[in-house]
Amino acid sequence: MKMTQKVLIFILAVISLSGCWSSKEIEELGLIIGTAIDLDNEGEFEDRQSGIDNGNVFKLTNQLITAETANNATNGGQSQVRAYKNITETGEAVLPALRNMILRIDKRAFGEHAKVIIIGEELARGYNLEQVLDFFRREQEMRSSTLIVIAKGSASKTLESAEPTVIPAIQLVEMIQGKERSTKILTPMPIAKMEGQLNSGNSFLIQTVSTENNDRKLTGAAMIDGNTKTLRAFLNDTETEGVTWIKGKGKGGLVRSYDEEDSQPIVYESLSMKSKIKPSVQGDSISFTVKIETEGRIGEHWDISGKAFDSKYMKKAEKATEKEIERLVKNVLEKTQEEYKMDVLGFGRSLQISHPQVWKKVKNNWDETFSDIPVEFSINVSIKEMGTSR
Amino acid sequence: MKIGSKEKLSSPQAAVILVNYILAAGILTLPRSSAEKLESPDIWMTVILGGLFAMGAGIIIVKLSQRYPGRTIYKYSQEIAGKWAGSFLGLIIIIYFFSLAAYEIRVLSEVTSLFLLEGTPIWAIIMPFMWIGLYLIGGGIDPIARLFELILPITVIIFLIVISMSMGIFELDNLRPVLGSGITPIIKGVSTTVVAFLGIEIMLIIVAFMDKPAQAVKVVLIGTGTSMFFYLITVVMVIGGLSVDGVLTKTWPTIDLIRSFEIQGLIFERFESLLLTIWIMQIFTTYTITFYAASLGLSQIFKKKIGPFQFGLLPVIYLIGMIPANMNEVFAMGDMIGYSALILFGVLPLALLIISKIKGDKA
Amino acid sequence: MKMSQIKKKPIKSSTMKHEKKNEDEGPYELTGEIQRDLQLFKKEIGHNSDVHFREFNIGLTSIRAVLIYVDGLSDKELIDKHIMKSLMQDFTDAKGDGRHEAKEKFTVDYIKSHILSLGEISAASNIKDTVPQILKGSAVLLLDGAFEMLILGIANGKTRNIEEPVSEQAVRGPREGFTENLSDNTALLRRNGGTEKLIFSKFIVGKRSNKDLIVAYIEDIANPAIVEEVKSRIQQIDIDNVMESGYVEQLIEDNFMSPFPQAQNTERPDRVNAALMEGRVAILLDGTPFALLVPVTFSMMLQASEDYYERWISGSLIRLLRFVAIFISLFGPALYISFVSFHQGLIPTKLAMSIIGTRDGVPFPSIIEALIMEVAIEILREAGLRLPKPIGPAIGIVGALIIGEAAVSAGIVSPIMVIVVAVTAISSFAIPEYSLGISLRYLRFVCMFFAAVFGLYGVILFFLFISSHLVKLKSFGVPYISLAVPYRLSDWKDFIVRFPLKVLKERPSMLHPKDPTRKG
Repeated sequence: MKMTQKVLIFILAVISLSGCWSSKEIEELGLIIGTAIDLDNEGEFEDRQSGIDNGNVFKLTNQLITAETANNATNGGQSQVRAYKNITETGEAVLPALRNMILRIDKRAFGEHAKVIIIGEELARGYNLEQVLDFFRREQEMRSSTLIVIAKGSASKTLESAEPTVIPAIQLVEMIQGKERSTKILTPMPIAKMEGQLNSGNSFLIQTVSTENNDRKLTGAAMIDGNTKTLRAFLNDTETEGVTWIKGKGKGGLVRSYDEEDSQPIVYESLSMKSKIKPSVQGDSISFTVKIETEGRIGEHWDISGKAFDSKYMKKAEKATEKEIERLVKNVLEKTQEEYKMDVLGFGRSLQISHPQVWKKVKNNWDETFSDIPVEFSINVSIKEMGTSR
Repeated sequence: MKIGSKEKLSSPQAAVILVNYILAAGILTLPRSSAEKLESPDIWMTVILGGLFAMGAGIIIVKLSQRYPGRTIYKYSQEIAGKWAGSFLGLIIIIYFFSLAAYEIRVLSEVTSLFLLEGTPIWAIIMPFMWIGLYLIGGGIDPIARLFELILPITVIIFLIVISMSMGIFELDNLRPVLGSGITPIIKGVSTTVVAFLGIEIMLIIVAFMDKPAQAVKVVLIGTGTSMFFYLITVVMVIGGLSVDGVLTKTWPTIDLIRSFEIQGLIFERFESLLLTIWIMQIFTTYTITFYAASLGLSQIFKKKIGPFQFGLLPVIYLIGMIPANMNEVFAMGDMIGYSALILFGVLPLALLIISKIKGDKA
Repeated sequence: MKMSQIKKKPIKSSTMKHEKKNEDEGPYELTGEIQRDLQLFKKEIGHNSDVHFREFNIGLTSIRAVLIYVDGLSDKELIDKHIMKSLMQDFTDAKGDGRHEAKEKFTVDYIKSHILSLGEISAASNIKDTVPQILKGSAVLLLDGAFEMLILGIANGKTRNIEEPVSEQAVRGPREGFTENLSDNTALLRRNGGTEKLIFSKFIVGKRSNKDLIVAYIEDIANPAIVEEVKSRIQQIDIDNVMESGYVEQLIEDNFMSPFPQAQNTERPDRVNAALMEGRVAILLDGTPFALLVPVTFSMMLQASEDYYERWISGSLIRLLRFVAIFISLFGPALYISFVSFHQGLIPTKLAMSIIGTRDGVPFPSIIEALIMEVAIEILREAGLRLPKPIGPAIGIVGALIIGEAAVSAGIVSPIMVIVVAVTAISSFAIPEYSLGISLRYLRFVCMFFAAVFGLYGVILFFLFISSHLVKLKSFGVPYISLAVPYRLSDWKDFIVRFPLKVLKERPSMLHPKDPTRKG
């Protein structure tokens, strides 16, 4: 009897103790699913007045899902209430801003479901991304699978939506995952990969998002300088296509070219692509050859003259597509080499892999060196089928 | 013919003990600790090299133990080096064993409180774990071996599943260039990787329990080889997924690898819980076998029953585990134990073997 | 031996192996005077109203005789039409003159060998010894002037017919189940596993109840060490009455603190036969249809006889399913608790969102929620078990549907919790061994507590604890966890996957059978 009493007391004690330890019920959480970081240019007026201003004010917008909003989402969104909740707060760094948020919400902000971090253009231009993202890398509650996206203009705007049932952060991530079917979207960049990139000192690209009429659109890529680790410039859609072709990191995607004879558009749909950057070093001179191979099908062609798809025509279509791809890749190469003098296309990495000794010599001034290096392209398109119509 | 009373280990059991003992904290930290030393993607070669070194040391240990069938190091060291020196040696080995046990539970508590139980006091994490270990080793080497055999397949299956999930972010380019900075850093890095293979010293004890001690060399080769395979996969996948530069900044790179991808459409999207599960089990195996080895040593040196020593060691292990004040000190403690083991089990068995051979020839 | 000192006269049995002659047997020996002997009998059992003393004369002679039997235990038809008729009518015919004044010895022998056409008949002289036999259904014939009486084995208590076993249904397989009658049960075994090496060795257990117990094994398969161990443990049983084989199980098991059953019980003769063929030992007790099988290992509990009757692929898949079921029934609610209260980051985001939505407004933490539902379902299960058959299922439906639905709409529990509890409960039904199912039911609660304190870490701790216990546990010297470990490929052919019968050539090696292969 005494034994059972003791055991009972022990169990009760343990249960009550456990309440003070780590357990927290799921409905008491506010799941952060997206975070937007901006520079607070409007500023806390009073702060600046009182001289606290040190210019480093972050504006953090967290997209939360709480018990109330989730109910709206699961109920089919009949009500007018939004399926998410955006909370904005400012602070000198990320964590202080996050903590200030406690003053505004009753839920415990929970970061493990964060899907995306959107960095505002202004912030990315002015601040070292390594420092900005430090909190997200350090905090174990933040997952390293969280994607990083750069916003054109304001980041917090991208987390707003016109329709109440759509959750912008999730929609954004799903859009990025649509990469398989478009060459205009870059390979997703989770924090884990970003960290390696930042550490390596090479320049790289991040997916960009912009807002149009309160809706998000993926538009091109942001070039991050490997030395300053800040945003240098944006690439537009067409240039991003070129990037995907050079890197061969894609699968589907369209290339629109013109039939030379009747200038009707031919739309080539790629089903697989492969590329290889081959550096060759002779003495001091470095040069690259980029070999791009793709297989695909005719997605659409406007030549209604009834011409059969004979092999001659196919050859012609292949040629036209090759030419178009070459135009795309040369376009982006020109821009990076001449306008920005930055290697965001991974040429340096391939040099490092095949000629580590040479790389050691040129590493420190690579972006400069790169801008003068000649690049050859060899593109091979093969059309495997033309769909169900002949 | 009394059934089930055997206290002998079969050769597969011995190999399983070895694998379970070797695989422990190293799985989570090896990619970083070796990347720090090498700063090149050739870590996998270092791992192989470290494994080969460990095999060599293991064979020496086995050769030594085979000269004294049915006896552990604690007993035959007295025979080789004399009663006092031998006992002293035994005590040092015992100290090593329970310090290692303390280190493992400390690492366990750190990782658990970081990733699973933020806010739960460390003592509360450690206590039940230690008591369960004590409960297990109360049954002797036979239940220990059986539990290890139970845990190993779970570990292997889950580990392979989880790690192969990370294929999605694996990039072969991250592992290149091969030998980009020459062979010297690889050799320099061996000291780090060979420490990951600590555990081979258990052969000093379990050879005595084997029913076929003649197969002990095979056990060492298979056991170390299997562990090497695991470490190799870990290192290759972690470096391939996160790149050397990415690994350098992580405290627990393997967990971070698993945390850096999500696979949708399954019951789970995230797999670090599975990895932590098998890792905790591996820590448990390492902790129990070192705990058992230490208490067995005490009971054999002082020729007393093993039970009281097991209870007595429990608070000692706990207190030693609590000594490091922060994470850096924990890792420093790990390094210290590792390097002392290099001397203790890399050099000492060879010396004992030579002495024993000389003595044996005289006799 | 304590018992014999307390009692003046230890009850002896002719079936006991080492029969000791009792020195002090005076007042219980037959005197030859029928009235005195009858008085002695009446003193022993006469106060029982169900004991009948039928006095009559043999044939037309003046020899008085008394037939003593217990109403309902002895075959009344046999007594009327056979015994009484032979003794009273046919005796005359056989003897011719019918006025034969024979020596008593001659009469007893004569009746035994010429008159009573019964299979089981024996002579005895001690009254005390015969009383238990009367109470088991034998009839005793006392003859005037005789110093021996005849014990007529005509026990025919109203027993159940052989029916389909209730607790272990099978779609395919024999429909016979054991009954409460020991001889029926041994007959079932003998008939199905007809081998001359099948040994039934008999014991008497229970100091007061004197129940028959049979240890069955196949001599040239079972390991003698195990058989000896079983026998010696049975001989050490020291209790007044053994009600059911569950008593035996608890009195001979290795570790009574363990939550796991260390003997397997079954109603199915085919299962017992299969076990005997593996080299295991069966224990049958009179008065219960449940036979015990020892030694047992954890994996044996997850095997059903149908695994072998169905083709091997379906058998293996079903077995696999059982492993999943055992996992769910043990860890289901605990994992739910740890994910909902501790590691919300580990569930998929969309699932987390819907759980958040459904749990909104539930006033309790998940452990309390789970406890409420689990306890409720255990009560329902228990209630359904005890109720009369026609009402039982109705209660189940009322409980499951109405209470669950009402609890959800009242906001006491979340719908997902109801799903978890329901799946867990159903999983626990999928375990073929009922006693293991009960163990897992309460271990599940322990696991839930671990999870409530330490989350997933607690679940792992619980797993390590249970495994540590399992590897230490032994059933009659055989490690309980055998088959899983130590690794033996020949044993694994019949573990999670059941290999085709053509490949299953070895008996389980952890039993160390005398004859390790199944070859003919």
